[in-house]
Amino acid sequence: MLSPYIDGQLGPSDREGMESHLEGCQACRRELKSLRATVNLLHRVTMVSPPRSFAIAKAAPKPLPAAVWSFGVLRVTTAVAALLLVFIFAGDATHLFEGGLIEERTAQQDTLMDGEDGEDGEVSDTGGVPAGGEEYVWPVSELELALLGVVVVLGGATAVLWQRRRRGGERASKS
Amino acid sequence: MEEDELIQRAKEGDLDCFNQLVERYQREVYNLSLRMLSNASAAEDATQDAFFSAFRGIGKFRGGSFRAWLFRIAANSCRDQLRSLRRRPTTSMDDLPLELESDQPSPEDFAMHRELGEEIKRALAALPPDQRLAVILRDIEGLDYEEISQVTGSSLGTVKSRINRGRARLRHHLEQRRELFP
Repeated sequence: MLSPYIDGQLGPSDREGMESHLEGCQACRRELKSLRATVNLLHRVTMVSPPRSFAIAKAAPKPLPAAVWSFGVLRVTTAVAALLLVFIFAGDATHLFEGGLIEERTAQQDTLMDGEDGEDGEVSDTGGVPAGGEEYVWPVSELELALLGVVVVLGGATAVLWQRRRRGGERASKS
Repeated sequence: MEEDELIQRAKEGDLDCFNQLVERYQREVYNLSLRMLSNASAAEDATQDAFFSAFRGIGKFRGGSFRAWLFRIAANSCRDQLRSLRRRPTTSMDDLPLELESDQPSPEDFAMHRELGEEIKRALAALPPDQRLAVILRDIEGLDYEEISQVTGSSLGTVKSRINRGRARLRHHLEQRRELFP
C-alpha cells in the first residue's frame, strides 16, 4: 500500500518492510514517485472563494414547513367539505332529511286522532316533529349550495397552491 | 467567540452564532461541494442545503469535530445533488477553472496549469463518488484519516482503501497526460 506509506499511516514494521522492498524494486519506486507527484498536484489545488455568503436569513428555513402545513390542511379541509357535500346530496336523494317515516306516522296519528274526535292531542314522538306539532324542515338546499360554494373555493385555492408548488419545484430543480 | 460557545448558543437557537460558524466553514464546505460535483450552481445549492440541514439538526451534534460533522452533512447534500444531476444527463461540467498554486506564473506556465487543472477536474469526476470524497477530503481539504472516517461513517481500513484506490486511478489518468507534469 503505497498511499498509506506516503501519508505516514503504516506502522513501524510495515514501513520498514515497505522501505526495504522499495530499495530493491525499481517499478515500485517509479510508481511511488508518480503517486507522490499526483498527491502534490492535488495539494496545490487552490480553494475557491464562495460566490456569496451562505448565512441563513432570519426567517429563511421556516416558510417551507409552514407552506407544507397550510397546503396539507387545505387539502384535508377540501376533502372533508367534498365528502360532506356528497353525503348531503346522497341524503337528499334518498329523502333522509325529509323525516318521511315520521311524517307518515304523524299523518296516521292525525287520522286516528280525527277518528277519536281530537282526544289525546299530544304527539309523543318528537324525533322529527317537535312536541308542539310543528314539523322541522332541514334547509337541505341551502346547505348543499353553501357547501358547494365552500368546496369550489377551497378546491380552487388548493389547485392554485398546488400549481405554484409544482412551478416552484421545477424552478428549484432547474436552478 | 470560541467555537464551542458558538455551537452551544446555536443549539439554543441563536441564529447569529450559527451564522458565525457558517462564515468560518462556508469556504471549505463550498469547495468540497464544488470538487465533488464539478458544477458551480449545484455546489451552491449543496452548500446552502448543508447549512440549512446543519441548523435544523445542530441539537443532535454531540461534540467531537464540528468540521467532520458539518462535512458529513455536506457530503449527504452532495449525494442528493449528484442524484439530481444524474437525472439531468445533459448538464455538463461547468467552466469554473480548477487552479493550481504556482511559483512561476509565466504565461506558458499559466496555460499549462490551466490545462492540468482541467485534467484533474476530469480525473476527479471520473472517480466513483466514495473514492472521490475520500481523496478530496484528504488531499484538497487536508483532513486526517480519523476525521475522514467520521465524515464518511466508514472504518479506517475502508478510508485507507478508498484513498489508495482513488489516488491510483488519478495517477493512471494523469499519467496519460505526462507532458503536463512539471
